[in-house]
Amino acid sequence: MTNGDQFRELIEVYALGALDPQERASLEAHLAEGCVECAKALDDARWLISQLAYLAPEAQPSDMLRGRLLQTIRAEARAGKSAERSSAIPFWMWGAIAALLLFTVYQTWEVTKLGKNIDDVNNRSAAAIAERSKLQQQLETAQREAVILTDPKSVMIPMVADSKSMPKLEAMWHAKMGIVVAGREVPMPSGNRTLQLWLIPKAKDGKPIPSLTLRPDAEGKFVLLVANPPDAMEATKALAITEEPAGGSTQPTTKPIWVGSIS
Amino acid sequence: MFLALLASLGVGPDSTPRSNDVLPDATLVQSLLQRDVNSFEQLYDRHSRTVYALVLRILQQAATAEEVVQDVFLQLWRNAAAYDAQRGPFVPWLLTLARNRALDHLRLKSERQRRREEQTDELPPVVAAPPEYEKELDERRRVEKVRSLMGGLLPQQKRAIELAYFEGLSHSEIADKLKEPLGTVKSWIRNGLLRLKEGLQTAS
Repeated sequence: MTNGDQFRELIEVYALGALDPQERASLEAHLAEGCVECAKALDDARWLISQLAYLAPEAQPSDMLRGRLLQTIRAEARAGKSAERSSAIPFWMWGAIAALLLFTVYQTWEVTKLGKNIDDVNNRSAAAIAERSKLQQQLETAQREAVILTDPKSVMIPMVADSKSMPKLEAMWHAKMGIVVAGREVPMPSGNRTLQLWLIPKAKDGKPIPSLTLRPDAEGKFVLLVANPPDAMEATKALAITEEPAGGSTQPTTKPIWVGSIS
Repeated sequence: MFLALLASLGVGPDSTPRSNDVLPDATLVQSLLQRDVNSFEQLYDRHSRTVYALVLRILQQAATAEEVVQDVFLQLWRNAAAYDAQRGPFVPWLLTLARNRALDHLRLKSERQRRREEQTDELPPVVAAPPEYEKELDERRRVEKVRSLMGGLLPQQKRAIELAYFEGLSHSEIADKLKEPLGTVKSWIRNGLLRLKEGLQTAS
């Protein structure tokens, strides 16, 4: 029996991870010497061991896991694209500004015309900066939403409608990152009226605390992020949504359409 | 439900039209490098059940198992380049990654960490192309074949292999647990694995 034969007997068990430390160290030292046959045998053994996974009883992960994962993936994909877009702006803009500055020095007699060009570039620069700021804000919002939606510390709050004709909404509240409320097939409030989120305090005689307003899109969808809730979760009994005049109200003027108790 | 609802609201890079073509795993993994969410979704839908079943079998706790499955697929998304299709098929690689991650979780709760530390802290090596005796069994046939072969082993052989694979125990730990001599346990595992290998060869 050659040295390789001796070690080859251990290969399957090594791939299984069941060798005791001493045997494992010996085999790894042998592999490190570059034994091609043992390396090939190890590749085969790893495949063989991977087949043991099929002994596990069949099981299916929850839809929640799929949704949570895809939410995170989408947020990261969006973040990546935003970063690509925003990082492309400065090089072009700085190049244009530098070219115009050189042009100014060299062509002084075109001051008037050049001034106009500079104004134009400045305007575009301001627009690009504003766009970048907007993208940055979208990125931060997406990241914050992803954390709220995926962190196990977030509390899920089902929001029940007062009428069967209205869809059920759900909210997630993370003590540090804020609240996300989302819904679909939500009817558009009439005219300029808006929907408004309220925090209902636990304190006896406590008045509803106004939060952000929202309007669903043309398809009835919305996602509302409240990054800084006006009160703590511990002090809040429930979330509610009412219909209010444009701009929102300081106190509810209508009966809540949705209420979600915080357990 | 809530998250599924949110997912359905997403207007992102995955909103491109979906193809009905069944793309190979390796092609989909390659697309992950371009941050293609649709490819990720297809890979998840294809393999999440197998991965979850394995991880749940190891951890025996659904919530923890879902955490680990999430870690595995996030790692795939964030580090798809770690998989090299030239060197072997995707599923064994994914299952090896999942098993390592699940055993890492077990390890945190036990004193076995030193033994497995070096093996599980990094992505698994790519599992080489299936041996020549391996044909392209579809997953259902593969499950049946492996289960049938394992069912044909002596009960103690099967038990010892399962303790090693699903609980990450070493020869010595299995011998202690089963109160059997170390040499006996080694023989059970080695002979059991050889029979499994021979069975798969015969199946080709």
